[in-house]
Amino acid sequence: MKNRQIIKFLVLGTLMISSCTKLNEEDLLYGTVTSNNFYKTDLEFAAAVGAAYTNLYNIGGNNHMIPLNEVSTDEVVVPTRGADWGDGGHWVRLQTHTYNPTDPTPNNGWNFLYGGIATCNRVIFNLQPLGTPQSLAYISELKALRALYYYWLLDLFGNVPISTDFANTAPLPSNTRQQVYDFVETELIANAPQLPKNGPGDGPNYGRMNYYTCYAILAKLYLNAQIYTGTAHWDKAISACDTIINAAKYSLMANYKDNFAQKNQGSTEIIMAIPQDHVYAKGFNMCMMTLNPLHQNTYNMSNQPWNGFATIQEFYQSYIDPVQNPGPQGTVTGLDPNGTPITGTIDARLSNFITGPQFLADGSLMKDNGADLTDPNGPPVTFTPYINELQPNAWRQAGARIGKWQFYSGMTTDLDNDWAVFRYADILLVKAEATARQSSNWNAAVTLALVNQIRTRAAVTPFASLTADTFLAERGREMFCELFRRQDLIRFGKYNSAWRFHTADADAHVNLFPIPATQITANPKLTQNPGY
Amino acid sequence: MQYTVPKSLKFTCILLLILSIPFGLLAQDANIPVKGKLIDGTGQPLPNVSVALKGKTTGISTDKNGNFEIMVPNKNSVLVFSSVGFQTQELVVGDRQNFDVTMANSANTLNEVVVVGYGSLQSKEVTSAITSVKPEQFNKGNVTAVAGLLQGKVAGLSISKPGGDPNGSYTIRLRGLSTLGANTQPLIVLDGVVGANINSIDPNDIKSFDILKDGSAAAIYGTRGSQGVIIITSKTGSQNSIPRLTFSGYTSVENPAKFTPHMTASEFKALGKGTDYGTSTDWDKEITRTALSYNLNLNLSGGSESGTSYSASLNYRNNQGVAITTGFNSLNARLNLMQKALHDKLVFHVNLYTETKNEDLGYDAAFKYATIFNPTAPVKTTDPAFDLSGGGYFEQNFIDYANPVAVLQQNSHTYQIKGTIIAGSGEYEFIKGLKFMLRYAQQNTSQYESAYLPRTSFFNRATLGNGASAVSNLSGFARGGYGYKGDDESFNQLFESILTYNVKLKDLNISAVAGYSYQYFEYQGTSAGGGNFITDASADNLSSALDFAAGLGNVNSYKNANKLIAFFGRLNLNYQDWAFLSGSLRQEGSSEFGQNNKWGLFPAISGGLDINHFTKFENVNNLKLRASYGITGSLPIGPYLSLEKLSTTGNYFYRGNNVWIQTYAPSQNDNPNLRWEKKAEFDLGLDFSMSNGRLTGTLDYYNRTTSDLLFNVTVAVPPNAANNTWENIGTLKSYGFELALGYDVISTKQFTWNTAVNFSTYHVNLAQLNIPNSYVGATNLGTPGQEATQITRAVAGQNIGILYGWKFSHISPTGKYKFVDINKNGNDSTDIADQTVIGNGLPNFEFGWNNTFRYKNWDLNFFFRGSIGHQLINTFRAFYENANVATSYNIVNTKYFNPNITDGQVFSSLFVEDASFVKLDNATIGYNFNVNGTKLIRSFRAYLTGQNLFTITNYTGVDPEVRYLDPAVGTTPNNVLAPGVDRRETWVYTRSFTFGVNIGF
Repeated sequence: MKNRQIIKFLVLGTLMISSCTKLNEEDLLYGTVTSNNFYKTDLEFAAAVGAAYTNLYNIGGNNHMIPLNEVSTDEVVVPTRGADWGDGGHWVRLQTHTYNPTDPTPNNGWNFLYGGIATCNRVIFNLQPLGTPQSLAYISELKALRALYYYWLLDLFGNVPISTDFANTAPLPSNTRQQVYDFVETELIANAPQLPKNGPGDGPNYGRMNYYTCYAILAKLYLNAQIYTGTAHWDKAISACDTIINAAKYSLMANYKDNFAQKNQGSTEIIMAIPQDHVYAKGFNMCMMTLNPLHQNTYNMSNQPWNGFATIQEFYQSYIDPVQNPGPQGTVTGLDPNGTPITGTIDARLSNFITGPQFLADGSLMKDNGADLTDPNGPPVTFTPYINELQPNAWRQAGARIGKWQFYSGMTTDLDNDWAVFRYADILLVKAEATARQSSNWNAAVTLALVNQIRTRAAVTPFASLTADTFLAERGREMFCELFRRQDLIRFGKYNSAWRFHTADADAHVNLFPIPATQITANPKLTQNPGY
Repeated sequence: MQYTVPKSLKFTCILLLILSIPFGLLAQDANIPVKGKLIDGTGQPLPNVSVALKGKTTGISTDKNGNFEIMVPNKNSVLVFSSVGFQTQELVVGDRQNFDVTMANSANTLNEVVVVGYGSLQSKEVTSAITSVKPEQFNKGNVTAVAGLLQGKVAGLSISKPGGDPNGSYTIRLRGLSTLGANTQPLIVLDGVVGANINSIDPNDIKSFDILKDGSAAAIYGTRGSQGVIIITSKTGSQNSIPRLTFSGYTSVENPAKFTPHMTASEFKALGKGTDYGTSTDWDKEITRTALSYNLNLNLSGGSESGTSYSASLNYRNNQGVAITTGFNSLNARLNLMQKALHDKLVFHVNLYTETKNEDLGYDAAFKYATIFNPTAPVKTTDPAFDLSGGGYFEQNFIDYANPVAVLQQNSHTYQIKGTIIAGSGEYEFIKGLKFMLRYAQQNTSQYESAYLPRTSFFNRATLGNGASAVSNLSGFARGGYGYKGDDESFNQLFESILTYNVKLKDLNISAVAGYSYQYFEYQGTSAGGGNFITDASADNLSSALDFAAGLGNVNSYKNANKLIAFFGRLNLNYQDWAFLSGSLRQEGSSEFGQNNKWGLFPAISGGLDINHFTKFENVNNLKLRASYGITGSLPIGPYLSLEKLSTTGNYFYRGNNVWIQTYAPSQNDNPNLRWEKKAEFDLGLDFSMSNGRLTGTLDYYNRTTSDLLFNVTVAVPPNAANNTWENIGTLKSYGFELALGYDVISTKQFTWNTAVNFSTYHVNLAQLNIPNSYVGATNLGTPGQEATQITRAVAGQNIGILYGWKFSHISPTGKYKFVDINKNGNDSTDIADQTVIGNGLPNFEFGWNNTFRYKNWDLNFFFRGSIGHQLINTFRAFYENANVATSYNIVNTKYFNPNITDGQVFSSLFVEDASFVKLDNATIGYNFNVNGTKLIRSFRAYLTGQNLFTITNYTGVDPEVRYLDPAVGTTPNNVLAPGVDRRETWVYTRSFTFGVNIGF
């Protein structure tokens, strides 16, 4: 072997390697999907459009919409139970209206809503060059969906930036609430005609924006127009409701609770559903939020529930009190610290709550071996509408729990019960209210008739007359925990009034949530809402 | 293209290997036998003196009696005698065949070889901050991971592993933090294999460490040099040496040294706020044990006259953890083989390293639960009200609460780690001093994780899997049994070609290096986890879990890759051994950066001057002033950071009638300008040696600026599609001092005493933050109830390490927490504007102090280690040192406990404690037996080592060790911007005693 040959090997090897100086990462992607290798096929576009909807799947989760719209009201409270649910005090601040720009919940809500908007903008941007009928249909649908997100922003934060163009990456300044209102109205009216006019029930358009959903949003927009813009639009609200009612596609279900069953896709009452499924569409975890850990046994659940969300005693009382809610009398869970059974009104909508002694799967009494020493009945788990205190040591068993959505054996953390964004019953109540307010007469015949449709379905005595307060109470009983309570209390001027655990607000700046501090940091052009 | 490269590489290497066999036979005629004896100034024989032929890289060592025998090629051969602590001598063989040489004490270690990147220098030639650590300086005792050998030994190298988890890993930090979002651990170079896994070699097999500390030294490693470089050299054989067998073994006994203070059963009962279940259980005792461990190491080394030398070793470790059911066993094997050919002009090296390790991890949460579980509850129960999951253990439904004995006894969690490094090189000397080398190295590591949570296990906080595929809050009881299996495979291949030229021009020594480096990294893995088993017996058969059929199983797989390509060169000049200059340059590109910024240039320059050459101070042997400047980079934490990524949303789009399709949404915005994080570092150093090396010292000052810090920035949506973008966002500035001193206090024939101390201090400042956020790096206190409580942050303009919250003022008469009302608005309990800096998680300075005594055959060594000035958030206290939590938990009970508090726990400076400490890290007493009369045994030593013998600290938690990063899993696992958080999952602090022997045959 000669030196020369060795040198040849060495030099050859070096040259072969040295020629390789390419560093293109696109050649090394493997399973990574980038914008360069996506958006090629119809299926890929459908997958992208789908992301604008899947964002909605945790609307019923514990991070944003329920805390913002319900925990801030007399319908839902999250008491601090010893070491549990303190969470830096933010649940208490929601209930007491002392939320601030650094609290997590407004920021979660902002991210949830703008996340959906960004996806809509992004997919519209990618669809626009195609010009196919399918792409145009998707664009209208996404614009309507975007308007729904903006309607929620308008309601929660008021003055928010309107972003519509994905290509424009400059930070946007805040728009006025009036401008956001106008945008939502214009977009819905412009895009509704392009959308399908399917009615309720399972099918290709189930769970997606359609013509009637646009009008349901418009009905809400006009009902609250006076709050949003200072100008009332009762006639437009009535008209939007009539568009839905007169189409005669929707009707009240015979049984109230069927709207919230595990399999509720067949509801004739749901105008827009958000599909929920423990495999495909995860996010709705009410079972985790409200049930006791021991309910894991009762329902053969995959996880231990967190024992948090409950309703407030007075709100529960508005169902069983024969004066507030006349109807057939029977045995209901009482209001004392023991939850002693008493006689009260049996409203079909009491299915909204879980109260009284709880049982395991084998029918035996549920016993919490770690019950608080001050718990009046010791180990047995009895959900009492009475809550001893908001913090720091609310009893583990205290509070009527949220049973509105059917709980079923084999539940996972994610419920199968589809979420109703808009229900026909709500549309009837919007029309009833708008009619009463337009005529300044809560006893208008149309109003009474509509309200009593709802009461009759709930198997309670129809009202002979109404006041703003009794109407609000009826709305509460019907629409409990469906994300309308904050909006309703504001419209009825009650959001700043005192209730148990909430002292009257000094002023009404709390009627809008603060623009989250992290958002202002990321976009200094945003204007903080007054009072924060 | 990259696929053709490795193939050709492998081909070349295999060919070279095959070719090497006949070369061995052609090796030159080494035919003059030379022998001799080496003694010191007092006439004592000197064992282990290196005897080598000049110009050769290997040689032999003298035996126990100082004797040696070596074959030399001819009369012109030059023998080089060298040993630590003695002046190196060079003698021409001539006609002599017997050399009785007296070795003079060396002035210092000036001629010792220091391994630098792509080469080596004599110690005196070094112009940058490099510290070498030899085995006699290593930490003693049951040290099971390589990093443990170095803990406290090198000024500026911080190494920490709080608690006694045998499977825990060390955090290594050189000169403080110099990056935000890139790798924070130093680059490891093992026998030339760049980027080696530090654990691919057993601690027993290490010959030396060389730590490249400053930017100038590390710049030759370019993009990976910013965190410093640790060069590990393994033991090699000697040419022309008889085969030598060395056995060493030890056995070790380890016990918990300190538990988190909490109430005993009687104290808990006396408090009267929690339920008394009638018994008394010491949960700490129940979950721990006296852990027994042993280690066996066998090394065989030698060399032939035909140019072969080798060193091979086997290591077996069996290590119990103090937590019941935990521990590991491992088997390492290593082979270093060298063969010379063509009149020593051609040198082949083959290095093999393999590791197999089986770890029983247990669940760290057991230590948390042992602290907070009701001390009046029994371990086991038959009462169905308490046997909640049917496993026979006492359980209760409180948040993050489970029977700690059950946690460890019922649930399994293992890792099986397998690693190999295969490296080979061939070097050819074309003309004298001009050498060309090709190196190929390949590293494979696989980590197989397996866990099962049985149907009766109540524990509901198990986290299984790594990174994005981790699943948390798992429970065997809730899921009907839960099984998990995950495999992570990593592979990389390194190819380097290096040209070196050494020449002496009159008074000037020149050595030059130029090279090319290509490295390809590939990672892939698969994992599956699911529950709902009929029987625990099918734990290892995941297909029997109903979850997979029901769509509830968690299945993941991934693959990613990246590559690095570099061209580099360095020039070292040595003028008459008193003036030194070095310059280097590396141009390196990584596929991981934005397409506009793939390549970076990393230059360095350094110089040194022996001032003593001019001044000639009496008693001073060397006084070298050196200065260096270098630019290094940092690799980001992973690939694809500059691309716009889309990911599945986790939910599916409903198309009606129970038809669903997958959905994709943006998960990361693109940034085509993403570029290298660059660290520029200036280092000024002084090396000195006095009284013939009795006193030696090194002093360094450095000043470094890292610009273009990489960080995953949260951005607004819209206008962005996703809420995060990787950006270059700011600047870190730091400076520090390091001092190392060694002194032979007493040095007589019978008795020696050497003392060595090192000291370092550093300050890292987040000088600039070019994003709208006023701070980054926040971490939260955690569950239960404090998930939103931020406790750390890094703020522009301030030093890294801020602990953040309210400043505790007092407890009000009604038992409420009151805080300092900084803005004086009258709100002293809930005002977020009053939150402020309440501590610093990083130390003011760190030090190590070693003492070695020898008396006749006895030796004694003890090593103190300390960190002063850092604080820790004692999270145990922050959650449980409050009588109100007694309804659910046992009370943490330190000197700070105040039974009058009526508030729930609110985080404040009350839970921030000074954690300065001094530890007697290890102490060893050893005896060398006289085995002169024995033919078979060359040497015999026995020793006893104690580790963690005592700690002086005011900290009330288990271990005051600095927490350089926050391991909390969440949005930012291993958050380097959140040092100073003592998490509740920390293992107890342990103390151990080791008895061992080293026998040379």
